[in-house]
Amino acid sequence: MGFLNERLPLTEFSAHLRKPLPKHINLLFSLGSLAMFLLLLQAATGAFLALYYSPSPEHAHNAVTYISEEVPFGSFVRGLHHWGASAMVVIVFVHLLRVVIYSSYKAPRELTWIVGVLLLLVVLGFGFTGYLLPWDEKAYWATVVGVEIASTAPILGVFVAKVLRGGSEIGAVTLARFYAVHTIWLPWLAFGLVGVHLFFVRYYGSSGTPQNTPEEMKTGKPFYPDQVFEDVVGMLILFIVLAAVALFIPVPLEDVADPTNANYDPRPEWYFLFLFQLLKYFQGPLEIVGTFVIPTVGIVLLLFLPFLDKSERAVLWKRPVALTVTTVCVAGIVGLTLLGASSPKLETADATIVQEVPQPTEDIQKTATLDTETAEVEKEEEVFDFQLTEEEIEGTEEEEEVFDFQLTEEELQ
Amino acid sequence: MEKGSRRSFLVFSINWATALIGGVLSLAAGIPLIGFAISPAFKKGESKWVDLGLADRLKNSRFKKVDYTFTAKDGWVKATKKRSVYVTDAGNGQWSVFSRTCSHLGCLVRWDDQKESFLCPCHGAVFDQNGIVVAGPPPRPLQKLQTKVEAGILYVKDF
Repeated sequence: MGFLNERLPLTEFSAHLRKPLPKHINLLFSLGSLAMFLLLLQAATGAFLALYYSPSPEHAHNAVTYISEEVPFGSFVRGLHHWGASAMVVIVFVHLLRVVIYSSYKAPRELTWIVGVLLLLVVLGFGFTGYLLPWDEKAYWATVVGVEIASTAPILGVFVAKVLRGGSEIGAVTLARFYAVHTIWLPWLAFGLVGVHLFFVRYYGSSGTPQNTPEEMKTGKPFYPDQVFEDVVGMLILFIVLAAVALFIPVPLEDVADPTNANYDPRPEWYFLFLFQLLKYFQGPLEIVGTFVIPTVGIVLLLFLPFLDKSERAVLWKRPVALTVTTVCVAGIVGLTLLGASSPKLETADATIVQEVPQPTEDIQKTATLDTETAEVEKEEEVFDFQLTEEEIEGTEEEEEVFDFQLTEEELQ
Repeated sequence: MEKGSRRSFLVFSINWATALIGGVLSLAAGIPLIGFAISPAFKKGESKWVDLGLADRLKNSRFKKVDYTFTAKDGWVKATKKRSVYVTDAGNGQWSVFSRTCSHLGCLVRWDDQKESFLCPCHGAVFDQNGIVVAGPPPRPLQKLQTKVEAGILYVKDF
């Protein structure tokens, strides 16, 4: 330690960590630490999942199945990552609520709040880019809808959607860029923002509850070791809960993504269900209100909340306007989520018989080259993957017998 | 530092020169990087005629679901793409082929024989047999695809 002490300002750092917190704080003030713990857990489990994952439509689903079913601890690691993502959304949301309840966003902590809201958006970005990666039905359709939502934005919407997809439809390029964003871009952004957020938290100090008098702001327990210990216990409890969930509730993995699946009812992850439900209420030309106006206005209002609410610092129930707005927003989000979750599935199964595209005969191909436009079609036909009808399959089986080079047991003898 | 002194002029110049170099470096690296990332958005998708099979086999169809596959370039991959449409034979060589993609947010609609409607499983959209929005959020009708029959094969213009 002497060596390090001579070279680094460890004494000052230690004194900084031991600075007293406000007198009145409670367990809710550990939520930020829990969110950071979850971010680290997600980064760790994600880094290990990446050892086996392959971001291509041909391999992604198989890789996730392999992780879940064959790799030792694979199901557990994937479970931690999957349920950890849900826990992250819950913890970040409750953390935000705590800040609103105690009006901790007010001066001089406006910047801390703004960076916190950006972190909330990053968390949702992690969720959105993450659940395409298993390349199952849910992954595919949730991304189809999510990207279409982006395309409804005025002026740049269609362009943004194409950038997100890496083209005009979801495919290999989309999966590669979602993987890159999920595992490289967003983590860099998240850790950068967390660094800034933590700097502000330490620089301005904990806000404590509004009942702290100015004198009480620096008379509480020290951050280290008292608060750190409470945070660590919280992390332990959270990890135990997550580990239990990861052990006993298998992470769902639906069938591999099929862009023609007639009977799949797409539903997003639970934390996007409120938006899913909201979109149903804005019809025709009002579509954009649900897809763009409300989400954008919501985010902007949230970002600039400290500049909109300049009232004296007080607990939420002593601020009638803030209490009403918060209650309406939370009730709205929870209510829409519940409605979205109980949204009935479409009973109509696709009763019509699937007409499979038959393989064209040679004659047809020859005739089809008669005009230039059709000639182009024929060129493409060379690479068409035609599905065989049952009759044709039966016919093929006969031919297959001719090419069956496997020796029978008698022949082997 | 005295205002108007040689030193203050030097500091002023250094600040601007640093900012200028920073700006040039950002542009020199940023423009190709951003172009690299967003370039797929500038590629125009090509619509093409695809084969739905022998027209005779689809004769008298009424909202029959037809799945077809074709190979297309998807970035660096030659991928097999799957599509699905509803085909109706109106007689007299008139074909009506609807895309199954809901005009709201891209989910696949299903034809319901009893309700004589296309239903979307996502946000509750309902389209009538002409693809017109009857209920729900879609701002546009279902896309009706161009068709042609050549050499006995029904082709549809893939979107």
